[in-house]
Amino acid sequence: MRHPHPRRLATRAVLLGVAASLALTACGSDDAGSDNNNDNDNDNASAETELSDDPVTLRFTWWGSDERHQRTQDVIDLFEAEYPHITVRGEFKDWNGYWDSLATTVAANDAPDIIQMDELYLASYAERGALLDLGTVDGHLDTSGFDENALATGVVEGGQYALPVGLSAYSFVVNVDLLEEYGFDLPDDDTWSWDDLKEIGGEISEASGGAVTGVQSWGFDAGGVNIWARQAGASVYDDDGNVVIPPEVLADYWTYLSDLAEEGIAPDASTTIERSTAGLDQSGTATNNSVFATWWNTQLSSLTAASGSELQLLKLPGEADATAPGAYYKPSMYWSISARTDHPNEAALFVDFLANSEEAGGVLLTDRGVPANENVRSAIAGELTDTDTAALQYIDEITVGETPRVTPNGGSGIEAILGRYTEQVLFGQITPEDAAESFIQELQSEIDAA
Amino acid sequence: MSALGELQRLRGGGGAAARKRDNKAAAVFLLPWFVGLFVITVGPIAASFALGFTDYNLIQAPSFSGLDNFTRMLSDSRLHASLGVTFRYVGISVPLQLACALALALLLDRGLRGLAFYRSMFYLPSLLGSSVAIAVLWRQIFGADGLINQVLSMVGIEGRGWISDPSTALSTLIVLNVWTFGAPMVIFLAGLRQIPRMYYEAAATDGAGRWTQFWRITLPLLSPIIFFNLVLQVIHAFQSFTQAFVVSGGSGGPSDSTLFYTLYLYQRGFNNFDMGYASALAWLLLVIIAGFTVLNFWAAKYWVFYDD
Repeated sequence: MRHPHPRRLATRAVLLGVAASLALTACGSDDAGSDNNNDNDNDNASAETELSDDPVTLRFTWWGSDERHQRTQDVIDLFEAEYPHITVRGEFKDWNGYWDSLATTVAANDAPDIIQMDELYLASYAERGALLDLGTVDGHLDTSGFDENALATGVVEGGQYALPVGLSAYSFVVNVDLLEEYGFDLPDDDTWSWDDLKEIGGEISEASGGAVTGVQSWGFDAGGVNIWARQAGASVYDDDGNVVIPPEVLADYWTYLSDLAEEGIAPDASTTIERSTAGLDQSGTATNNSVFATWWNTQLSSLTAASGSELQLLKLPGEADATAPGAYYKPSMYWSISARTDHPNEAALFVDFLANSEEAGGVLLTDRGVPANENVRSAIAGELTDTDTAALQYIDEITVGETPRVTPNGGSGIEAILGRYTEQVLFGQITPEDAAESFIQELQSEIDAA
Repeated sequence: MSALGELQRLRGGGGAAARKRDNKAAAVFLLPWFVGLFVITVGPIAASFALGFTDYNLIQAPSFSGLDNFTRMLSDSRLHASLGVTFRYVGISVPLQLACALALALLLDRGLRGLAFYRSMFYLPSLLGSSVAIAVLWRQIFGADGLINQVLSMVGIEGRGWISDPSTALSTLIVLNVWTFGAPMVIFLAGLRQIPRMYYEAAATDGAGRWTQFWRITLPLLSPIIFFNLVLQVIHAFQSFTQAFVVSGGSGGPSDSTLFYTLYLYQRGFNNFDMGYASALAWLLLVIIAGFTVLNFWAAKYWVFYDD
């Protein structure tokens, strides 16, 4: 981070002192501090941690489905009722628009105060100094309810830049109603293989006469490629953040996906691509057009609400024959605070409410993952709907391997690159082998350049 | 103002003071424009030029990197792909658009009843054409379950996901651009009105048919207007962004088939935190557009006819 010239800093400190003594109130010094909150950890440190008495407006941004927007707004209302002088303005988007707009606002020095953060982007933002070290506001943010390992997922270069919200795991969602309609039994998810998925998927596509497809193809998210690599005993990154997935493993992955599309087990390429750019609500699962699909376990409730069908979570295929477990716990998302916020204390207070309040937990339930805060998790256990309970149970039932390394700085584009090669493979413009080579090379060069 | 002063001013003598006052007033009125010019046009342009020579990730301070960004362009295969897409888009959509605009202008020039109404109706799309709303609409129309496929299925043709198929995605955007032919059309209409009727009367007397009249009178006399529209639309088309951004969800997909130059520039800048390179790309675009404009002006010598 760039620091101003020492003499200018001294001048500013003097001016600050004058302003503070003139104002004689905590909020006065807080306002003055806001002008240069990066370089004034000096004399008025005690005043720094005090909350303002004046009205404060915080901006809070998140991505998600309609369901999540509603729940989050309800939590904001609860918070505002408890702290009437703090207003929280929600800015919510879908996944695609979210990251474009976050990068733009951060660059324009207009970042929202509280940011819902993802594992993909955490290192990219934290290493570049865009996020506040939550350790500096621990007076207002209590993390004692979190497991050490959970907290560690939000540490980048020694600082706690993000607080994990919940845990989630990659899963298969199956539409039980459709399965019954076409006369199929639920597969045994303790033993099923990728070939079994292909087989039953193909039979369903055939039985329905094309009305639904057995499987919704995937290949546009990092989770899918992670589990595929892990089952082969590999990983996408090594500890140093280099791309080490073997090209043949990646080629197998794309071969499998293109087989699904070619054999009519999954929709044709253009339908798949159309759905991949639309939201959850227009997915094959939500519209009852696909029977099996990959999702994070905690999306079950939103999907059930959208589809109106009975949906169930299944463990990943291939786990029984895998070299190592493919499944892993992913921090579903994090709470972060902008490094340039004018109100770090109030922002911390709000994050504290989100993370620790049982009242908030009771509204959010498992929409953002099974709460990483153990107190909240036990407090809401009784209030969960059937689908939320199922999501929680899924986490307990699966066998997980080691947590993958956090996506390295510069690697946040992995899904864009993956998606592009998946599209080319599905349309037969490139062989899976060539796609694998090019993918590895491209991702590595993005990481090297960051 | 005193009567004497007024008199002096009218005579044009001794008006230095008054002129100075006028100039001051002019300066005050022009100030907002100058502020705008420097703050939101010249400033950013200068900044982007400087950033083109740096490594800048949006969050940390830029660091000087010399010509790295420019040499990197030579081996950037996605940049080359985006150039291909953009050239194809400009090369196909601009001539088509101008041809449609001219054809409609000729029709409307025939003193149609309700001309004002038609003119507005045809002009409307060019006001809306590059808006997000229309791009969203386009996505619906050309989607797998969209309007186009519903119409096609009525006549027994099975359509496809036009926007999600790499072989047709760019064409849908070309159609969108052609559809916004209203702006050049209005200019063509005005140009057609400028052509003296007597030329046509004389030609008709000599026995020239409509077709001959079009080729021998209308086109040559309209060529300055065609040239004007051509230059304008080429510049405009090179800068297209919104349509591809919305239709492809920001990816330029499927498989980079709608990766407009500006979209790639945006991706580098805001998705990959690579603003230094994006700034350099912006300058390359400027050079490309300037190059095409110069080329247009050079070629104009051979086909544009000024009647004076």
